[in-house]
Amino acid sequence: MEPLRQLAKEKLEGKRVIAVMSAKGGVGKSVISSLLAFTLSQRENTSIVDLDIHTMAMSKLFGLEGRLHEVTKNGIEPFSFGNLGVFSLSGVVRDNYVLLPGINQGKVMEGLIAYANIKSSKNVIFDLPPGMGDEILVLERISKYFPIVVTTPSKISTKVVEYLIKYLVNEKRVKPSLIVNMAYFDCNGEIVRPFGEMNGVRSLANEYNVNFFEFPIDPNVEDYVGKIIEYKGSVKVKTDEVVTSLFYSNP
Amino acid sequence: MHEWSVAYSIIRTVMSWAGDKEVLKVTIGIPSFSFLDLDILKDAFNEMKKDSGLSNAELEVKIKDPTFKCRNCGYTFTINEVSDQLQGVREEFGEEYPLHLMPALAPSFIRCPKCGSHDVIAQAEDITIDEILVKESGAVKTTS
Repeated sequence: MEPLRQLAKEKLEGKRVIAVMSAKGGVGKSVISSLLAFTLSQRENTSIVDLDIHTMAMSKLFGLEGRLHEVTKNGIEPFSFGNLGVFSLSGVVRDNYVLLPGINQGKVMEGLIAYANIKSSKNVIFDLPPGMGDEILVLERISKYFPIVVTTPSKISTKVVEYLIKYLVNEKRVKPSLIVNMAYFDCNGEIVRPFGEMNGVRSLANEYNVNFFEFPIDPNVEDYVGKIIEYKGSVKVKTDEVVTSLFYSNP
Repeated sequence: MHEWSVAYSIIRTVMSWAGDKEVLKVTIGIPSFSFLDLDILKDAFNEMKKDSGLSNAELEVKIKDPTFKCRNCGYTFTINEVSDQLQGVREEFGEEYPLHLMPALAPSFIRCPKCGSHDVIAQAEDITIDEILVKESGAVKTTS
């Protein structure tokens, strides 16, 4: 009998659980996750849990490097930004690298979720590592989640992401939303698509009957690594639209 | 302080399993390298059980000394052979010692004493509920 799983399951009951995922790495998943979480927190208490336990990108985006989570009787306390609580393994291991055999990865993820104090949060966002591994199985054991799949318009990314969409739609019978990150660049009113046209994305969306949202390229995002909640540019504006459309508009 | 979360997770898991049965005793296993304070753990258990269906339950804790096996060179070793490594981690982190919070992080902080690889697996590295003693229709029954 493993107590962590039961605790993790109970903690997520009654909350809106969102998994930001991609079969492909380097598509901007963590930036999208952090902006989604911050945008949701502008409406309701929200937690983001960084399940990418090897790269721990949340600590870099939110400027938390070197800081440790406080631990109280209620568990691991979040790093707070207004109504947003951030949980990252970096707050446990500080600046040490994390190198783990597969089976331990799932246990560490389960521990992070089980001990995180997310009591006051209505929304819990999980930023998953790229690929299709233990993180998906861990989440499935403890919660029903709303999947948001991130890709870029590139052929390789779209083709790789299809594995994940196929799994979610055909096996799990859930309908993910697809975010096409870095889809276009607005060059003084002219739309330029440096990472390719949207043909592959459209055919993927049609085949699996999923909605997709195109996100712009904004090189200024780079200036906000370490203070992502201060970013108000075009990617945040798009995130506001998507959050409203997915979670706060009447059907 | 983490002992409170561990106690809570044990209580919630046992309650979920036991349902209406009266629980008399819970036996748990804890890996030695987690360095949990057993007095605090038992105090937390006894305090929180008052508000649960486990109000008559006693907590027994068994400390497990894990055995490690290196998957790179095949060497099997005990915790004594990596005690200096663990001490180094405790000195770096103090009370917020990572293996106290998450024993499954052990391979990231422990290297094989023979070849230096992190590719080690531990037996008995998790906190587990090993036995629950319940009273059913007047009889006492143990479940493992």
